[in-house]
Amino acid sequence: MAKPKVAICWLGACGGCDEAVVDINEVLLRVADAVDLILWPVALDFKYDSVKDMKDGEIVLSVVNGNVRNSEQEEIAKLLREKSQLVLGFGACACLGGTPGLANLTTKEDIFNWVYRDAPTVVNPKGNYPQTSSRVNGKELTLPEFYDHVYALNDIIDVDYYLPGCPPPPYSVMYAVSAVLENKLPPKGSTLAPHRALCDTCKRNKSKPDRLAIKEIKRIHEVEAAPDTCFLAQGIICLGPATRDGCGESCIDINIPCRGCFGPVEGVADSGAKFVSALASILDAQSEEDIARIVDQIIDPVGYLYRFSLPVSILRKRRG
Amino acid sequence: MSQYKPKVVCFSCKFGWGYLTDEDTLSSKIENWIPIICTGKIDATHMIDAFDEGADGILILGCPEGDCHYQDGNYEAKKRVYLLRRLLESIGIEKERIRIELSIDPEGRRIPQLVKEMSKELAKLGPLKRGAAAEEMPKEAIKARGGK
Repeated sequence: MAKPKVAICWLGACGGCDEAVVDINEVLLRVADAVDLILWPVALDFKYDSVKDMKDGEIVLSVVNGNVRNSEQEEIAKLLREKSQLVLGFGACACLGGTPGLANLTTKEDIFNWVYRDAPTVVNPKGNYPQTSSRVNGKELTLPEFYDHVYALNDIIDVDYYLPGCPPPPYSVMYAVSAVLENKLPPKGSTLAPHRALCDTCKRNKSKPDRLAIKEIKRIHEVEAAPDTCFLAQGIICLGPATRDGCGESCIDINIPCRGCFGPVEGVADSGAKFVSALASILDAQSEEDIARIVDQIIDPVGYLYRFSLPVSILRKRRG
Repeated sequence: MSQYKPKVVCFSCKFGWGYLTDEDTLSSKIENWIPIICTGKIDATHMIDAFDEGADGILILGCPEGDCHYQDGNYEAKKRVYLLRRLLESIGIEKERIRIELSIDPEGRRIPQLVKEMSKELAKLGPLKRGAAAEEMPKEAIKARGGK
């Protein structure tokens, strides 16, 4: 019997998700034995044209990481959707839009002006900006179109399963791949990670006082955080209460609070709003001035609360 | 051109607002009115959902400070609203779109009035802009990054 065909592909991504696949180490060799990898741009030399020649649904699973910000990424996402039985949105960018999604706070023009004109390291005397089409020596050169918005993968194509994380930890990659190969999949649309919040499994949870009461908000680089104590108890913003568990607490283990790369817990659409409620309830403010004083200590609230999920947030999501 | 009429969703606590008047009578005078028991129950996700359903602004009417039937629900709501307003601002949405007032009005006569006042203020802002990119990168932000 022919081995099931699997594609791994990156769109608007940093490469960290592909690295996470490599991080399953020697198990990767077993995966390579069990499946026929037909596309993996970061590691293997296959052409998109050979994917185009395949029959619809010929690929059993496409693992797609990264968001969609240009026409090439959209085209590849749609191609893989057409040729695949299952699409797994892999990593925070594919599932939630990811950190690059914060660019949605800025216009395309501002981004181009900064990158090609205003940044101090730019030397561009002719004022050249990227064009989707230009003629050089009588020949036409093309570039993908840069969209004015960052999209999560499911804004562009149907996504069957989600595995968030920045990047997803190696064991969850293993879990996802074997679930597909052994056909032990949960209902379509599921996120392949636990349903509860990170605080539920956090080792520091025991150190939490009966009633959390934040009088001052501190940033992680401003203080020396105690290594075993709940970050919120120390006044450091940690998104654990509103973030899905499943990351393996790699940030917490190195004394860094949760930033929310696993996205909202099951049943919550907007993790930022959920965290607003969680945080507001533990602010120990006695007066209106006190509320203002504490809340104003949060530098860049949108960056904190939607670091990985701005493109899928209710207030910034692009509609229709 | 028809006049733009902002949609205001009003949440009010039944312990402090309009409890002496029949709810049906009052609700015929207030569009999108949601009487609830304790403003402390209003999660930030409810407010965001209201925006998602097409609200241009949200008015929350809670009991006077120190007079919450459940000790401090109104105060919890106040903190939540303050934090959410800060978040809206940094997202590029006017903070004036959420208002909270802690007071008491057993007959609820002021509710339609307050909704009208807020609606007037919102009309100046225009419809809620969702999903649009921020207008322009502020000049200070460019300078702060070392640009011209």
